[in-house]
Amino acid sequence: MTGSEPTTLRVAYLPLIDCAPLVAASRLGLDLQHGVRLQLQRQASWAAVRDRLVSGEVDAAHLLGSLVYSIELGIGGPRAPMAWLLTLNQNGQAITLANPLADALARGLPLPQVLAGLGRRAIFAQTFPTGTHALWLYYWLAAAGVDPMRDIGVMSLPPQQMPEALAAGEIDGYCSGEPWADAAQACGIGRRVMSSGAIWPGHPEKVLACRRDLAALQPALVERLSTCVLAACRWLDAEPANRLTCAGWLAEGEVIGAPLGRLAACLDNDPADPAALAFHRGGAVNLPWLSDGEWFLQQFVRWGWCSAEVAAAALVRDVHRLQSFRRAAATLGLPVPVEARREAALFDR
Amino acid sequence: MRVLLVNDTDKPIGELRHALQQAGYCVLEEVASPAALLRAVESGQPDVVIIDVDSPSRDTLEQLAMLHDQAPRPVVMFSGDGDDALIRAAVGAGVTAYVVDGLAPARLAPIVQVALARFEQESGMRRRLGEVQQALEDRKRVERAKGILMNKRGLSEADAYAALRQQAMKHGLKLAEVARRVVEMADLLG
Repeated sequence: MTGSEPTTLRVAYLPLIDCAPLVAASRLGLDLQHGVRLQLQRQASWAAVRDRLVSGEVDAAHLLGSLVYSIELGIGGPRAPMAWLLTLNQNGQAITLANPLADALARGLPLPQVLAGLGRRAIFAQTFPTGTHALWLYYWLAAAGVDPMRDIGVMSLPPQQMPEALAAGEIDGYCSGEPWADAAQACGIGRRVMSSGAIWPGHPEKVLACRRDLAALQPALVERLSTCVLAACRWLDAEPANRLTCAGWLAEGEVIGAPLGRLAACLDNDPADPAALAFHRGGAVNLPWLSDGEWFLQQFVRWGWCSAEVAAAALVRDVHRLQSFRRAAATLGLPVPVEARREAALFDR
Repeated sequence: MRVLLVNDTDKPIGELRHALQQAGYCVLEEVASPAALLRAVESGQPDVVIIDVDSPSRDTLEQLAMLHDQAPRPVVMFSGDGDDALIRAAVGAGVTAYVVDGLAPARLAPIVQVALARFEQESGMRRRLGEVQQALEDRKRVERAKGILMNKRGLSEADAYAALRQQAMKHGLKLAEVARRVVEMADLLG
């Protein structure tokens, strides 16, 4: 890079396992190598991440993929033109049910009957009304014949409070990122009945996003940001030992502050398994696929959050910064797919 | 007027109770977790929720706002450093938030009033916008159904419209609903 001072970029994140690429980029000094300095700012809610991103209090954020589009369209909150710079990870989330429900399901009872057995409306938790966990949960319920808009009650909870709410009987199940399905399982209060990677192997999950004005007005700066985060994604998938190193950083109190063993277990998986948590896969994870955004839009229409006309008019090609991503990949000498769309391999198709 | 305080960060939101009570508000028992917040909203039916911008319970409120038109109106509070851009973003489209710079009790009552007035105004506007969008979509649908009838049955525009109206009256349905069925059927039959 040039000899000038690196530009500081404020990046908001939530203390979840998939913030790993941002933490790694900073700890490994990949940011400085590419002429930026990441100043990571931990937040307490997605609402706070969204508000700080929209207001310009932070420059970029670790964001639920679908939240890019709920902000872009102003669904349930402020509206701002958004940029999806790269996808941070695929898979790694899960649906957990309380033990009696998981048992009934394991006995082969269909889900509508399992829930009817409660004798009241089942209550499920997700992390944000228009978030990815809501979408995986609703997709899975609907595929089993349960209408998530009518047949169940829904609440949004911080994921770290979900196992506790399940134990207290306040909810019957939830969809969250790891290690929160693992946590319920470890204390014997619930079981993981479906991993998100089994719903759609290779689904987009968290993304690196910024406002579109920043991406448009400072393309070189944003490209340097993408480059250092992409390099961190590559490092995380390069060998298992790297993930273990990163688990150590994530375990620190000011980063996530969860037990090291649990974080390490969630990060340690078979890289050949298409349903396993992945950060890179030769760049196929990170490419901001247009079709991933289009899938989120379809789901928004499906659940009545926006009209088909509004979804069709969304500026998908402006949101997904394909060119910027390809330039960042070229800087790292990464051959990335030439396509901009891919098949959504959902389990019920 | 009932106010709910969410006191789950290190900002002293609980200390607002006295000032709010003096201003004539009914202050519900304060809550410190998302689960308690949900219970309090259901049982206490607050008109306003006061919550720290950095509260971990904020996403729970977002879901309530998405679910119910009559959801409580969160009043998001900032400490003294709340800058203008952040305030504008928080008050921006759809979010029923109002921002205070600091927790000066004397300023609280008027701010709650303004937040409520603003919420009423915005939700009225959103409702009207929704109605207009619906009407527009209904009209487009009727146009398409008319086109299908004209095409498939060789009807004139007036006759196609009359046929749709007749179906609607016969089955006690709205015109737009009949049009929706015609369009769906046509899609199905290709």
